[in-house]
Amino acid sequence: MATLNELLENFHDIACSPKKQLNAYLEQGKKVVACVPVYTPEELIHSMGLVPMGAWGADIELKESKRYFPAFICSIMQSILELGIRGEYKGISAIVIPSLCDSLKCLGQNWKYAVKDIPFIPMTYPQNRKPESGKEFTKASYERVIRDLEAATGEKFSEASLAKSNEIYNEHNAAMRKLAEVLEQHPSITAVQRRDIFKSAHFMRKEEHTALVSQLIEALSQVEEKESKIKVITTGILADSDGLLKIFDEHGLQIAADDVAHESRQYRTDVNLELESLEGLADKFSRMDHCSVLYDPEKKRAGYIVDLAKKYKAKGVVVLLTKFCDPEEFDYVMVKKACAEAGIPIIQIEVDRQMVNYEQAGTMMEAFIDML
Amino acid sequence: MGEGEKKPKFAVDPNSAKFKLNEIVAKHYKEVQEAKDRGEKIGWCASNFPQEIFQTLGIKVCYPENQAAAIAARGAGQRLCEISEAEGYSNDICAYARISLAHMMVGETPEQNMPLPDFVLCCNNICNCMIKWYENIAKELNIPLILIDIPFNPDYEVSDAQVAYVKSQFLAAIEQLEEITGKKWSDEKFKEIMEISNRTSRAWLEATAYTKYTPSPLNGFDLLNHMAVAVCARGTVEAAEAFETLLEEYKKAVEEGTSTFRAEEKYRIMFEGIACWPHLRTTATGLKSRGINMVATIYADAFGFIYDDFDGLIRAYCNVPNAMNLEHARDKREAIVKKTNTEGLLVHTNRSCKLWSGFMYEMSRQIGEDCQIPVTSFDGDQADPRNFSEAQYETRVQGLTEIMESNKGGKD
Repeated sequence: MATLNELLENFHDIACSPKKQLNAYLEQGKKVVACVPVYTPEELIHSMGLVPMGAWGADIELKESKRYFPAFICSIMQSILELGIRGEYKGISAIVIPSLCDSLKCLGQNWKYAVKDIPFIPMTYPQNRKPESGKEFTKASYERVIRDLEAATGEKFSEASLAKSNEIYNEHNAAMRKLAEVLEQHPSITAVQRRDIFKSAHFMRKEEHTALVSQLIEALSQVEEKESKIKVITTGILADSDGLLKIFDEHGLQIAADDVAHESRQYRTDVNLELESLEGLADKFSRMDHCSVLYDPEKKRAGYIVDLAKKYKAKGVVVLLTKFCDPEEFDYVMVKKACAEAGIPIIQIEVDRQMVNYEQAGTMMEAFIDML
Repeated sequence: MGEGEKKPKFAVDPNSAKFKLNEIVAKHYKEVQEAKDRGEKIGWCASNFPQEIFQTLGIKVCYPENQAAAIAARGAGQRLCEISEAEGYSNDICAYARISLAHMMVGETPEQNMPLPDFVLCCNNICNCMIKWYENIAKELNIPLILIDIPFNPDYEVSDAQVAYVKSQFLAAIEQLEEITGKKWSDEKFKEIMEISNRTSRAWLEATAYTKYTPSPLNGFDLLNHMAVAVCARGTVEAAEAFETLLEEYKKAVEEGTSTFRAEEKYRIMFEGIACWPHLRTTATGLKSRGINMVATIYADAFGFIYDDFDGLIRAYCNVPNAMNLEHARDKREAIVKKTNTEGLLVHTNRSCKLWSGFMYEMSRQIGEDCQIPVTSFDGDQADPRNFSEAQYETRVQGLTEIMESNKGGKD
């Protein structure tokens, strides 16, 4: 049985070296498919014996992507394309890019010409996802992804395999939800370590990640907590940058829960295993909510964040706003209002993947802590 | 002309298309206000929401995008953008949205007023930003939001699955609107509206196609103004008649060798993107002073919908320029470039429009190579005056002119 520190180091290694993970899978003879945010039907990919790997960009300097994107497209899209052009995804069989925001639509179109050796597979989600016709459209889009995956990898799809994958993903979701609850009880786990655990999920087969997370939960149960920190909620697309997360740790802040797309938003909804497997997957998407890229006419996400803060007795909400992400920018105003009504302090810190100087963010956070 | 000497006021001929088109826009805003004053429920509507729905139901709506463009052209873009920014909206958000949200907050905007809505009609075939913008309006005003989701199509052709999905939303929208307004749907009226809309679209597309003549009988920038009618009144007989008048005028101009482009047409270009409304005069003068006429724009096509039946209507709304993949969008533009003998491409990299600008570098490269025309771009914004540099625009347009000139020399 690995010790807590060994487990945390393992999560860190995996989170920080996706290339190593990719090469290890390729050496095992597995085929890998890149999955672009915010939601990709990973279950389909997994069910075909392929390894889905998250592609959320990286904190790198942009050079090649500038030939395709103007400067006002978010750094997640820009850096995914940059990595593709630089050959960092070499060996990957295909990339699935959903079109849930305008910049994602553009990434798919640019990819075809910028990275010709890795096939682009579009995933078109409906925004009116709840009515039957919306579910039918989701299903038709999944069928198209299956056809493209079969063509790109030579692997075959079966409903029975998907049923098994749905189960594996539900188990992983449950493990991640439990993990979030356990971490809330363990302020000694730093913001960077918390990120490592969530981030590593994108670079591993989910059954392997579930096993590691279960070990971690077990190891944490042996830890007697003495530390106490100021609890906050994080919200945004990404909370990935070391420099930024260290500010939380340096100032004694604990991320008690998150509404981050790269983290907990992924694990809120399960597939109903009673349904036929593909239908079940479409049904899952229809029930997903509280996200900036999913149609939300009543702006329920704002209330969701307030409830999250109340549930975990968080002192404040930290909005990590990815620069040029307009879905998040629109939501921010509603989230800010809902927090103000509920008397919950809120701070917005603009982030991107080219951030090198965190002084301003640090100063803002200090002022915010004074308010708490 | 000496100082103090006044220019005679130019009176527009009441039988001219220009007069009729201006009247339609004025009447449109007036009618919505009157409906609101009568206590009828009125809506705000996305520019590419299927207008056949509310025209059939006899519901009055107005268009925040048209309003924002008018406000920006009249110099108030920055003032309204700053109102939204003070509320917490990032200055990176689409300026039309910022202007519209500001108008919603203040309720009155003298540069172009519009009554506040009782419901909003959203269609995202132009961008997903529309959804977020309308969500916030609906929440702030506590009013219903009807969304017809037309996803970006990654394929060349529109799939049957997409048609079925959009069709079902179309029917749901009718039911929702009947419920909100108490008005009733009539299949007969729908047929009539479809016929009128086709008639208007045919006249509009035929008129805009007159830029194919050399020299062109029109200054392409005229289309940017006329487009407001194609957006807001496509389903009305007045609009059909006004565009038919416009068509007649262009026909006559070709016969007589006249043009609304008041300079010698030395070069013919395609202008890509939404107009830079706050700097319309600067951008237009920068072209005209060099004898450059804009004879090609995909924007004209964006509001002409030709179809035979209900399915055709759905497919037409799925096939608007911003809902198409790169290849389809490129081929449409290349066809226009060829038809109009365009000699250069000037791209407005529009800070407000991520979707329009996000794959334009690659697409314009391909158009330039395939059509063998020079391509240049400038940074600007459809409504926020702060995102445009006159010096950069001048330099870029000058560069384009020099290449076009040199190409002409080569061809002679």
